[in-house]
Amino acid sequence: MNPIELALSLVLAVLLIGAFGGEPATLQVVADGSHEFESAPDALVVAGGTATVPANESVDGSVYAVGGSLAVDGTVEGDVVQVGANVSVGSGGAVVGTLRVLAGDPTVADGASVERVERLEPTATDRSPVTALTVRLVQWLFVAALAAGFARRRPDLLDNVAAAATDHPIVSGVVGALTGATALALVVFMALTLVLIPVSLLGVLAGIVCVAYAYAVFGYLLGRRLPVDRPDLAAAAGSVLFVAALDLLGRVPLLGGTLQLALTAVGVGAVLVSYLGFSRFEPVELPA
Amino acid sequence: MKLFEYVRRGAWPEVVGYGLFVTLLAAGYYYNITFVQLGLIDLGTRLVGLPATTVSAWMGALALVTFAAAVGFGILMDRRGWSRELRTKLRALFAVLCVQFVLTMAAPHVRDPAAFGAWIVAASVSMGVGFPVTFSLTIDFVPVRDRGYVAAAATAVAYFAGNVYPLEWSIGAFSRVMAVAMVPGLVVLGALALRDLGFVDAVADNHREFGVGRFCRPDTVQLRSFAFLGPLALMFGVFFVDSLGFLRIVETPALVRSAWQSPDFSVHLLIGAVHVVGAVAAGVLYTNFDRNWLFAWVFGLFALTHLLYTFDLRLASAVPGLAGGAPPLVNPIFYALTVSFYTTLNFALWPDLSTPATIGTHSAVGVGFAGFLSTFLSTAVALYFEHAEVTLISHLSLVNALALLLFVALGLSLYGRAVYRHARAGPVTTGRAERGAHDDAPGGEP
Repeated sequence: MNPIELALSLVLAVLLIGAFGGEPATLQVVADGSHEFESAPDALVVAGGTATVPANESVDGSVYAVGGSLAVDGTVEGDVVQVGANVSVGSGGAVVGTLRVLAGDPTVADGASVERVERLEPTATDRSPVTALTVRLVQWLFVAALAAGFARRRPDLLDNVAAAATDHPIVSGVVGALTGATALALVVFMALTLVLIPVSLLGVLAGIVCVAYAYAVFGYLLGRRLPVDRPDLAAAAGSVLFVAALDLLGRVPLLGGTLQLALTAVGVGAVLVSYLGFSRFEPVELPA
Repeated sequence: MKLFEYVRRGAWPEVVGYGLFVTLLAAGYYYNITFVQLGLIDLGTRLVGLPATTVSAWMGALALVTFAAAVGFGILMDRRGWSRELRTKLRALFAVLCVQFVLTMAAPHVRDPAAFGAWIVAASVSMGVGFPVTFSLTIDFVPVRDRGYVAAAATAVAYFAGNVYPLEWSIGAFSRVMAVAMVPGLVVLGALALRDLGFVDAVADNHREFGVGRFCRPDTVQLRSFAFLGPLALMFGVFFVDSLGFLRIVETPALVRSAWQSPDFSVHLLIGAVHVVGAVAAGVLYTNFDRNWLFAWVFGLFALTHLLYTFDLRLASAVPGLAGGAPPLVNPIFYALTVSFYTTLNFALWPDLSTPATIGTHSAVGVGFAGFLSTFLSTAVALYFEHAEVTLISHLSLVNALALLLFVALGLSLYGRAVYRHARAGPVTTGRAERGAHDDAPGGEP
């Protein structure tokens, strides 16, 4: 099993243990190979390979199956949490606690005893059109409010970022793409250290703000072409139009997604090279 | 780009000059990164039967002799005025190519240690002469404005070709590829150097317009000035970090077989494509930002790359059962990106720190000291580590620490310089504050 995959599985397992209120004193991880458990620590994490609770044997703690396979032929006194792994409860098997299914489809044989099954698996189809539209509206309103606020109080910031995006799109795109790729790797690896998860989350938040700022700038640019007199209203309307257009663009296979990414890279790069809009970006002067 | 202007004007000798320069630089670098760096290890260990440590020591000797030959010939070029004479440089390059062709053909037949040593000395001298000659062609073929992009093109071609073909790291395979590639090169370069072609006369005076490098305006950069020694020290650090890390990675089968020596061709193609992307990005950054930004990116990317490598190794050592798993491809991808960045910088930097009167010496000292002497030292350090049985994780952690240290030191020194400048400027008035704000613009010179 790849170390990165294992680390991600462990992070997921730790988050799950925290989410379901577990405070295990000891934890055992299965990453590879086949293992049988006649007893287990407070928490058993199956990240890869195969873990089996043999018939007529009992495991006291909870089992978190985030990868590989878990076969319960004996008894699990605690919960079994399934996230994508293969989980099967044999005809003589029993789960005294709750079988929580976040992702996957457990196989429960006839004659197996499972106290309670809880399906927490979120699916895209669960979201009604109204909910989806509401979420989308909240996103649009957030970007619109950001654009309007800047247009009213600090239009110079939007001007500087807009100038970088329109006058130097290639430079902005390169800086945005490079920063995006390296920042993504950094955020993931900081999260894998566990200690730096809060810093990693802050990084994600900063990235989201940066993208929203970039979209607000594109909205501001679009707003200047609308027949609206008030700059803040124009920026807000432009932002809504831009984000909606970007959403529609995403529906075009391959090309749409590529264009979305390119626009976002240019916007984020423009935000960065203009020092969040506090400075006008000017490339170095080279001889003619 | 000035190239488009030449195409619009129909200035075809200048346009051909771009192509010729990119071809020469890319071919020379391809020869260096494949035939010399990888082929010699195979020749020394497999065919001659020397221990790996002895071959590494010879590689260090190769770096040292190349450095000495480059500096000696670079100084000679400037003193004799050859740096300004295109035809003389083409003749010197043709002579170098002839010697290297013979050496390339002979390499697979070398069997005893003495011949191996003689081969290395001859190759070192020819490469040492070749470096200042090739770099000094910049002032004949590439306008200052386009140097970042031209350097990027040479980097992209060299590394893409180097990763895609040949897949087998053996002296026989490298020798066949290089010999086939050198024949048309010999014909073209021979014609340019020995025949009275109009093309050479048409571009012979371009050094008057292209010659003064970007960082030599308005004042020329002296060899002993901070303006030259600072980038020299930084580039030395870049090559040292790269070489020290890669020497160990390339000797670790699990790491190298999942990337640069993968049996899967798509992996080679991916790494080659990342090299191209990295070179283009570096070309854009070099053209639009101060060089220190590119140095900061290089050190930052190296630090991140080795962080990724050491993270995997630490995790694998914490869970020994995982040690046999394939390392993730993200590591070599970041490595390729970083290498393309600094190679582009290396190709453009030395001509831009030179004038037609100094390009021989400056490019020889730059490439020789930063590129070859650092390689010599890192080889020595790697051998010491091997002798001291330093583990892979400790080795790469040290490289990571060095990259981080250089990254932080560069950031602090740039900030310190800004503080010093503001402190010397005295109390801030409104006008000065505005000028100061402009000075700190990202595209400006910090």
